[in-house]
Amino acid sequence: MESLAPTPTPQVAAAVRSRVARTAALPWTLTAMLLGSTSIIVGLLWDISWHMTIGRDTFWTPAHMAVYLGGVLAGVSGGWLALHTTFAGSPEERAAAVRFWGFRAPLGAWVAIWGAIAMLTSAPFDDWWHNAYGLDVKIISPPHMVLAAGMIAIQIGAMLLVLAPGNRAPAGEERLLGTAFLYVAGVVLLMLATVLMEDSYPNDQHGAHFYKASCLVYPVLLAAVARASRLRWAATKTALFYTALQLAMLWVLPLFPAQPKLAPINLPLDHMAAPLFPLLLVVPALAIDLIVQSAGRRSRWWLAPALAAVFLALFLPLQWNASKLLLSPAAQNAVFGGDRHWDYSRAPGDWMTQYWVKNREPLTPRAAGVAFLLAAASAQVGLGWGAWMARVRR
Amino acid sequence: MSPVLVVLAVLVSLLLAPAAHAHVGSPNVFFEGMAGSWPVRVIIRPPGVIPGLAEITVRVKQGAPERIQVQPVQWKAGVKGAPPPDEAKPVPGEKGLWSAQLWMMTASSYSVRVRITGPAGEGLAIVPVVTVRTARLAMQRALGFVLGGLGLFLVVGALTIVGAAVRESVLAPGEEPDVRRRRRARLTVAVTGVFLVLLLLGGKSWWDGVDADYRQTIFQPFHVRTAVVPEGSARVLRLEIDDPRWGRERDWSPLMPDHGKLMHLFLVREPGLDAFAHLHPVPRDQSRNRFEAALPPLPAGRYRVYADVVHESGFTQTLTDAVEIAGPSSTAEASPGPPSDPDDSWRTAAQIPLEAVKSSLGDGLSMTWERGSEPLRANREVELRFVVRDGAGRPAPLEPYMGMPSHAVISRDDGKVFVHLHPVGSFSMAAQQAFAAQDPAARMPGTMAGMDHPPGSTISFPYEFPQPGRYRLWVQVKSGGAVKTGVFDAAVQ
Repeated sequence: MESLAPTPTPQVAAAVRSRVARTAALPWTLTAMLLGSTSIIVGLLWDISWHMTIGRDTFWTPAHMAVYLGGVLAGVSGGWLALHTTFAGSPEERAAAVRFWGFRAPLGAWVAIWGAIAMLTSAPFDDWWHNAYGLDVKIISPPHMVLAAGMIAIQIGAMLLVLAPGNRAPAGEERLLGTAFLYVAGVVLLMLATVLMEDSYPNDQHGAHFYKASCLVYPVLLAAVARASRLRWAATKTALFYTALQLAMLWVLPLFPAQPKLAPINLPLDHMAAPLFPLLLVVPALAIDLIVQSAGRRSRWWLAPALAAVFLALFLPLQWNASKLLLSPAAQNAVFGGDRHWDYSRAPGDWMTQYWVKNREPLTPRAAGVAFLLAAASAQVGLGWGAWMARVRR
Repeated sequence: MSPVLVVLAVLVSLLLAPAAHAHVGSPNVFFEGMAGSWPVRVIIRPPGVIPGLAEITVRVKQGAPERIQVQPVQWKAGVKGAPPPDEAKPVPGEKGLWSAQLWMMTASSYSVRVRITGPAGEGLAIVPVVTVRTARLAMQRALGFVLGGLGLFLVVGALTIVGAAVRESVLAPGEEPDVRRRRRARLTVAVTGVFLVLLLLGGKSWWDGVDADYRQTIFQPFHVRTAVVPEGSARVLRLEIDDPRWGRERDWSPLMPDHGKLMHLFLVREPGLDAFAHLHPVPRDQSRNRFEAALPPLPAGRYRVYADVVHESGFTQTLTDAVEIAGPSSTAEASPGPPSDPDDSWRTAAQIPLEAVKSSLGDGLSMTWERGSEPLRANREVELRFVVRDGAGRPAPLEPYMGMPSHAVISRDDGKVFVHLHPVGSFSMAAQQAFAAQDPAARMPGTMAGMDHPPGSTISFPYEFPQPGRYRLWVQVKSGGAVKTGVFDAAVQ
């Protein structure tokens, strides 16, 4: 496509780098993106809790509005960026943009706009789906996957929007943008954990499926941020953001009184249900950081298997034992939330504090081997993604 | 096959096969009676898809209630397992009409409690409702186009973004991509394109799977086989429930009698609906699935069979079939034996002019349909009112017929709608009594509603014709110890 202005010279390009990095605060578009990103994950966890507790909702609940507000913030700020850069952008701004059908904007803006449109598309699709197949019984349905794709795209768009100026910033000035990048990565990690929630109860954590799923999903993100971030201890900080956000929702949601509004009620709840206690991803994340940092942020053939090995070697015993605590009476309180993550339709019983192993694949050495291979593949993809992200400058 | 074509095929097949639970093609539940001292008419319109929302309207015919609450109670969970009641809201512009939505989350037998509070005191009505999946919604063309268009935009947009990311995002600001980079971008876009196509195909296969699973859960009443067999000099109608689901004790509670009968079976001759029988087959040899009734001297022909049954859970269904009745082959068969149940009845009637409002009942009695001059319209609440008069034009006294002042059977000419009504409504009294017995707050008047005093000579049925078309109505009353059946035809717009 023809560009709409002459391309800037290298001197101008250099000026762009310094100007953005020197701003003490984030530009409003980035702040809006981060707010949107936060609103989406808060709304998502709120909505899940709503469905577990109250059971029924219309379109216009606060939880849904939080999710769509996030989409609107991301779409509007991305859209503004695109229009501004294309029609009113300074030469520096236009230089730091990529082209899309004749328009210009930073890459992250396009991804965020795509995500917002995907979220909007999912709404009428989901409405029809409910009228055709019944109101929500499962989280995972095709319209919800379109919504999830949109929400994750917005998160990735936000990541790229802070990544590009952060990568252009001169050494010593990358802290704010770098931390913003790790924050959004933490939100993405929480979204991934939420998608896996139905398989991640403490009661699942003595079976193979939980470890295989976790090894497939988490290493890719942790390896990517470790590789891409200019800050040290990137994966650890990401995991800390994930832990803090999930703990905040776990501690705050049950403060609000609520009552189930659907029959049959087998568990009479009187406060909002909480999400699960966070997974102990901080420890494997620390190990991943150590290894990636010691490899000097360069590609090595042994890096992915090494990351997979430490992930599994640390995650497995940690969760194996942590789940014992979470199923014990010591965890049935507001801090650990062991008794707060059941929905109203579950009849209480011993099964709530037992491991669910009947008719499920046990954690055999062979299963652990499969989990290792999944983690290695995941880590390899993550390293590749991280290497690319380290080079994004627009 | 695309989901849209599948949907069309399903809809066509649903049109051909009655989507039934209790009654055929007439899912709404009508209740006419008292909630304490409040006279009410409650109409519940169950959703076609479960979990789904049912619409409930409560028409309070006298008095000014302050508050109306509605609450669905699933039969197994009981009142203890039921959610807090919802408040109904008055419908603006219509005095005494309140409406609300009920969230029906499982396919099951429910009782809906309607509690009315006001100056006349507090009253409770219990209305049984059966929720089953009856249909699969089609996607409107407009929506399909919009979603398809947006989907295409998203796919093309995603590919463009991937191309831009590979081509330009890793360059320093102001740099132009070289040939190698452009080529790599094109390659990545091509590979991503293949991946997206595979993803979409996977998604479509997922959707098709959900759709197929859903269509399997659309409720079909139990399969039955009916036949007419000679027995001595008479003929007998035999019905066997041969559905594999019926053997599963866990899922299906046994049948229970409604007005003292385990099964109410109706025979309607095709295609003119000109012969009608109302029989009460009894189980043969203490069997759970074989029933038998003496066949009245009906004219030969092909008959539609509708058998209403109620399970102990309150779940009602109408079993359907077709049976051939041959003409009597000898004079011996021309004089059949006595009916196997004294409440059995039958009537033949040729086509009746649509404007006719009077039907002769024999013995000098006649039944007049007080229908007014307004044409009948589909999906509009209507009160079907009939008066029985003797030869001198005086209102004739009526006796209860199986505990009810009257029974009405309404069928569309093609059989796609078939319903068995009482003046109290379209629900099963036996189901309602079962729920009331379980419900701690219900204090039903000792007898079934309508049996407190002998029926007057005016009877009325609350109803709403679900579809336009030609209908035949049979209205049965008992007078002088005999069952009389009035027959009327109607066109519904």
